Amino acid sequence: MPGSALVRVSVAVAAKDLAVELRTKTAFVSSIVFAVLVLAVLYFARDATAVADLDLAPGALWVTFTFAGMLGLNRAFLLERENRALDGLRLTPASPTAIFLGKALGNLVFLGVVELISLPVFILFYDVPIWRQLPILMGVIAMATIAFVAVGTLLSAMVVRTRFSEVMLPLLLLPFLVPPVVSAVQLTWRILALRPLSELTGWLSLLAAFDVIFFTLSLLLFEAILVE
Amino acid sequence: MPSPDPVVAVRGVSRRFGHRWVVKDISFEVPPGEALLLVGGNGAGKTTLLRVIAGLLNPTAGAVERHAMAGMVAHHTMLYDALTARENLWFFARLHGVAERGRVDALLERLGLGSVAGERIAIFSRGMLQRLAIARALLHDPELLLLDEPLSGLDETAAQIVLDVVAELRARGGALVIATHQLAELVAVAARVGYIVSGRLAALEPVDGRDAASVMNRYRELAAGAR
Repeated sequence: MPGSALVRVSVAVAAKDLAVELRTKTAFVSSIVFAVLVLAVLYFARDATAVADLDLAPGALWVTFTFAGMLGLNRAFLLERENRALDGLRLTPASPTAIFLGKALGNLVFLGVVELISLPVFILFYDVPIWRQLPILMGVIAMATIAFVAVGTLLSAMVVRTRFSEVMLPLLLLPFLVPPVVSAVQLTWRILALRPLSELTGWLSLLAAFDVIFFTLSLLLFEAILVE
Repeated sequence: MPSPDPVVAVRGVSRRFGHRWVVKDISFEVPPGEALLLVGGNGAGKTTLLRVIAGLLNPTAGAVERHAMAGMVAHHTMLYDALTARENLWFFARLHGVAERGRVDALLERLGLGSVAGERIAIFSRGMLQRLAIARALLHDPELLLLDEPLSGLDETAAQIVLDVVAELRARGGALVIATHQLAELVAVAARVGYIVSGRLAALEPVDGRDAASVMNRYRELAAGAR
């Protein structure tokens, strides 16, 4: 498939997913409500005299992003199961690579919006020095989200034909997410603790490696998953 | 005169789900301009065979040689409830590389859906959805059309539109494979009938002016013989 067709199909698939989500808002509303709820519960459940905001904040942020994101990922292929729309995609000359990239792009935008809305809530609850560090924190969030989306898009395509896909996805996805989420938590703590940049490079390299590995493997395996 | 190259050639195709063979060693060819009717009871393997021909399922054995991009209408619409009729078609048009929006509107009009093009399809009746599914299958002007119960849920007018579409496709050299129980309407457009009994192609015969009742009687005869 030529590059221009690849881009055209990917953008069409992503735009369609986002249009469907804009109409129904089911996953978006549940993800946002879930994110706010988790941030609030974790904040109010802690003992402020024993646990500093700084120690709790990174974990709270990534637990929120991970589970709120999972709600969105589930939706990505569920809408293809409805009316067997995935068969409709497969009857077109669109390459599996283009379909995967479109799905991943849609998920990336979806999660990006959920994260952008959750972040001010996080800042509101957790008194951490975030403003000066915001650009690098955003960079880390973007990198971890790419790893999350790459493996999440692949696995959501894999489990969508199973009867309990909503349950299966977290079970399969969470083990894969441990390395990037641990890296993201470590990076977030160091960023919020105003540690020197040199302390970030190791974890940043690890996160970048997960991005490359997860994205490449997902891209290569996606075609096999599409075929029944 | 040599026969024209077939649009699709099914060669010894079998398909198994678990331990159950649903399609067993089926072979046939469909030349340009021909409609082949597949007749069989529920669970005979017609839908599975169509899905294999479309490339949606891999055969367990054998092969399908398709010399044209297929369009398919199946039991499911393969459309998105949250989108409008026009948005659905436009999405699939882009995936097929069809760049003219006029093609989408022309098909909506052709299938009698022009007045509801901007409506979300979640509110469509079964017949409207079936017509939209047919429009989706025709977006890229396929030379091979696979139809699984294409008249299901259609009223007389809509059924006639579909029969006209079938006739047009044949006239311009397209091939069709149609699985159906509604023989009365479709037997007239077919050149041959394939009788599927328990996953096997029990017979492949020319229609030769037979009516629906005689095709059904022939099927019953073959089914009884297979027991």
